[in-house]
Amino acid sequence: MANVLDLRRRIRSVKNTRQITKAMKMVSAAKLRRAQERAMAARPYARMIASVLVSLTRRIDLFDEETGNLRHPLFTTRPEKKILLIVVSGDKGFAGAFNSNILKTAFQFIQGNPDKEIDVEAVGRKGRDQMRRRYPAATYAEIADDQGNLRKVRDRKARVEVTGDHPGMLLKLETDRVFAMAQSIISRYRHEEIDAAYIIYNEFKSVIQQRLVVERLLPLIEIGSQQLAGAVEPTVEERERAAQAALTAGIELEPTDTTEADEEARKFGTAQVDYIYEQPSEELFAGLIPQYVSSMLYHAMTESVAAEHAARMTAMDSATNNASEMIDSLTLHMNRVRQAAITKEIIEIVSGAAAL
Amino acid sequence: MAQDHNEIRVRLVTPERTLFEHTAQSVELPSKAGYMEVLYGHAPLLAELGAGDVTLRGGPGGDERYNVNWGFVEVLPDRVTILASDALKPGEIDVPRAEKQLDHGLALWKQAGESEEAYDEALRIIAEAEAKIASASQP
Repeated sequence: MANVLDLRRRIRSVKNTRQITKAMKMVSAAKLRRAQERAMAARPYARMIASVLVSLTRRIDLFDEETGNLRHPLFTTRPEKKILLIVVSGDKGFAGAFNSNILKTAFQFIQGNPDKEIDVEAVGRKGRDQMRRRYPAATYAEIADDQGNLRKVRDRKARVEVTGDHPGMLLKLETDRVFAMAQSIISRYRHEEIDAAYIIYNEFKSVIQQRLVVERLLPLIEIGSQQLAGAVEPTVEERERAAQAALTAGIELEPTDTTEADEEARKFGTAQVDYIYEQPSEELFAGLIPQYVSSMLYHAMTESVAAEHAARMTAMDSATNNASEMIDSLTLHMNRVRQAAITKEIIEIVSGAAAL
Repeated sequence: MAQDHNEIRVRLVTPERTLFEHTAQSVELPSKAGYMEVLYGHAPLLAELGAGDVTLRGGPGGDERYNVNWGFVEVLPDRVTILASDALKPGEIDVPRAEKQLDHGLALWKQAGESEEAYDEALRIIAEAEAKIASASQP
């Protein structure tokens, strides 16, 4: 049986752990608040781009008479044979099941499409590491065309390959990098290297309103509405845990009301007047589309970052609670052991005295 | 002020945040086809912006200048909303980086060959870098 000194040491060690988890929780809460603000601040731009696009499609004749689709390369649907899958995970661990849930959904998606070629693009270190371990990286062969210029051509060896990763992208979210990524995706779609692009990320409206979604990025079918291909809602218990953690860290449960700002943003480019188009409207439309795709990507990433911090906050709150419980039970145990030792000593003294 | 009603409300929104929203006498915009100035009562207009400077005149804090590359603008008689993918004050421009970007653009331009897409991309990079350098060098 452990003696009092051992127990005291263990209690001290658990107390130290609790201090660390508590600090980590508070740090995550602060980061979550910042991430939430950033996601909020990014909303007007995304809304405005979407609403002006919607209004442009209504005003100008962009529709193909035969198919009824929009006359733009990103609106043409092809049979899905080659898919690009963007997996947005976290950069660090200690966030409960956050990363493993994302990866699980990604693997399910890959297994659910066994007859298609899938390119994986990983954002976030945790996802990248797992994807790389499981699937080979894409290889390219250099082929000279008739003019003798070297051209890089994809040399596919496996059904699922990792085409790229973006280290540090989530650490410091910059719109330039996200835009560059969006452009590379768009160009791949235009050159028919891919027939569709999906993104897996954690949607985050507030601490209690979050879910894991698989969203279609390309082809665009309807602007301004989410094109979900699947979603995983958190369980009631998970939601309760998250709410409790948020309460103790001073994070608001309900998202801040932005209806007014949203309405304001939605008016962009939609006034009931005849606009003069400085450039031909098709050109305006084509110029806006990459920005729209980029804003969708940026939106996914800001939300995922917020969700990651929220998950870490919840996990660390649970860890802190567990540590407290452990300290309580260890203290109780220690007191019992001490009491037993005292009782034993008294018995020894008394029986010793009685024997005299 | 007597000419209160002659002022336009100008908003500059970037993907990250709304940079500012206040009134001004006029605003100069680098539209793709060239600079234009918008005053109160302008006819409704939608335009794509190229690389260049957005200049506000007669705002609450005096004249203000922002360097933008690619943007989109909606002009209504009393309101101008600029969506810019990036907006920097002239003081914030990293000139050595812009110069490097210019060199990179020129190199791309030489390599572009017959590809129209690569050519457009190179021209875009050059225009952006040149606008940045010009904006930073102005007083």
